[in-house]
Amino acid sequence: MTALVVLERVTFTYAGAVRPALADVSLEIAAGDVMAVTGESGAGTSTLLLVATGFAPRVVGGTLAGTRRIAARRCGVVFARPWTQLTGLCSTVRDEVAFGPASLGLPRAAVLAAARNAMETLHIEQLAGREPSHLSGGELQRVVVAAALAMRPDVLALDDPAAELDPEAADALYDVLPVVAAAGTGVLLATPDSERAGRVATRAVALASGRIVAEGSPAEVLTDTEVARIARAAGCPPPYPWDVPSLLRRVER
Amino acid sequence: MIGYVDGTSPLHRAHPYTTLALSGALLFGAFALTRPLEVGLLVLTAVLFAATGRVLRSSAQTALLLSLPIWILLFVLHGLLGAEPRMAFGPVALSVPGIARALVLGGRVTAIVLGFLTALATVSPHRLVEAMTADGVPFGRTFLLASTLTVLPRMRERATQILEAQQCRGLRLGGSIVARLRALGPLALPLVLGALAEVDEQVLALDARGAAGSARRTALDPPPDSRAQHALRWALLALVAAAYAWKFWRMRG
Amino acid sequence: MIRPTSLRDLVLIRLGVAVNLVIGQIVAALLLPVYLDSVGTILVAALVGPRAAITVGLVSQVLNAVISGNFSWLPFALVQVVIALYAAAAARLGLFRRFATAVPAGIGMGLLAASCSAPISYFLFGGVTAGGVTVVTTVLRALGAPLGVAVASASFATDLLDKAIACALVSVVLRSLPGTLAARFPALAR
Repeated sequence: MTALVVLERVTFTYAGAVRPALADVSLEIAAGDVMAVTGESGAGTSTLLLVATGFAPRVVGGTLAGTRRIAARRCGVVFARPWTQLTGLCSTVRDEVAFGPASLGLPRAAVLAAARNAMETLHIEQLAGREPSHLSGGELQRVVVAAALAMRPDVLALDDPAAELDPEAADALYDVLPVVAAAGTGVLLATPDSERAGRVATRAVALASGRIVAEGSPAEVLTDTEVARIARAAGCPPPYPWDVPSLLRRVER
Repeated sequence: MIGYVDGTSPLHRAHPYTTLALSGALLFGAFALTRPLEVGLLVLTAVLFAATGRVLRSSAQTALLLSLPIWILLFVLHGLLGAEPRMAFGPVALSVPGIARALVLGGRVTAIVLGFLTALATVSPHRLVEAMTADGVPFGRTFLLASTLTVLPRMRERATQILEAQQCRGLRLGGSIVARLRALGPLALPLVLGALAEVDEQVLALDARGAAGSARRTALDPPPDSRAQHALRWALLALVAAAYAWKFWRMRG
Repeated sequence: MIRPTSLRDLVLIRLGVAVNLVIGQIVAALLLPVYLDSVGTILVAALVGPRAAITVGLVSQVLNAVISGNFSWLPFALVQVVIALYAAAAARLGLFRRFATAVPAGIGMGLLAASCSAPISYFLFGGVTAGGVTVVTTVLRALGAPLGVAVASASFATDLLDKAIACALVSVVLRSLPGTLAARFPALAR
């Protein structure tokens, strides 16, 4: 497998920040990967996504030290809040999804084909004619992911993409990720939702204070927490819940 | 009624630039005309324009509503308080040059507002964006025109939420002017800081979808243009230029 | 003139315009006798610079006209340009860092804005525009003041108060910015 992104001992500091958001991080992302990135709030998961996709420091500023090689031609990014990611220029879902390929100046037919494919992947063809501002959060987030996919990115980074969604919408969104990866995209997924991440991820890293504290298969990494150890000791079947809320959810069930 | 109204009138079907050129000619033409009779003709032209767009009733209603206070003030300011000679008009003595001035100023305002409302009602923002895109207008300009309008409802909604939330927390909106000024901070600050915190996400989302690229964006539904419309737009420009030439020639003469 | 350099500038301009247009909603709820319709312009002048701020001012005026259907705002775009330039200069001098300098800076801005808006409303509309200013004009005129003087005094009174409050508010916003967010605006550090 060819590596799309290689980070070697990368340290990243935001402008105005005292300590680095990422410290001494080494990581490889290849086509077909679905890599779950976990960690508590402030652990640096969002920053890792931005650094791996080249958006930091190019777009958000800051300083990068260490070696970073990005072989990916294009990187896509999806955040938690769908409405901040709309262009505001498009009056239909189709136009919103087609915005990326249209920016590339592709012929009209190619633009529409790319948009159609992306909408099919996300199962939102029926929304094509709707106005984005009239959609629910879950529908809108699928539009946002489709819009990112329409660019045919080599790496797609999703930062807690289901944070604003209800459970069904979250499940539907996560189920798309293996499909995207199978088509040759490297997927990076930052999320505190280890249950869903564990279902779709092929690899996982855990961050704490900007450093990688665990790396490996989801079952290995998502278990390397106190809660997961307790769950394992109690005879819980894998994947193990790695924080208290997910343990409680498991127990309730 | 202010804003776009779906329809099939000649103005709706015309290239957006043509409709805008017509209302622009009304606006700039208005300031070239200085006599009551000329301004009367201008108002008539504006009425014809609105009738062509089949929005005469709603546009004229709004135009009158918007210009009514201006008419009243003009009447008081110039008609009652204007210069000599005066003409008895029932119980009051009206200034003759004042009334002429009020008619010119009021007619101008009414014609411009009517033309403006007609353009707003008949030019679909989507078609305008498409026309500008097809024309190769830089992304920044279409973005500022269209995208700004679409973020307003969300911003308004947030302002309302903040108002309600702060009132729930005991903020009083009434009281002395100093108290009300003090309340401005807790209301305006979250609105502005919240919006600033979202800037990076919005920039990243646009950047990832190629908005900063140098390729000429593909227009998906460019509105059809014609030689006749092109010629009409140039003719309007020439007409306005001629009107100003006439005005200045008359002022010298 | 409307040629911002980066996407970031564009997004910040959009934010400035939105603030200009929406803050009025809050002012209305508080029944304050001002518009504060240039807070976004001043904010962007301090955060980004004069060129972006001028764009905020111009786009705000156009949108104001589009939303209200009232074109008479449009010629006052010139005033917004002056406000943008003045605010950028004031920010450069660090006047927004403290309340004590921001308020006088706002009064200066009000004087300048009124000196620009009074001639516009006098020459183009014979002293008549929509809004409270006109009522003041009419009252002064009825009391015997010449039209020019009436228009000017009305503009000055509202503009001074309006801009002083707007500048004070921007000063509060800038001082409340979290450190990492503030670091993203090199114009602030100057």
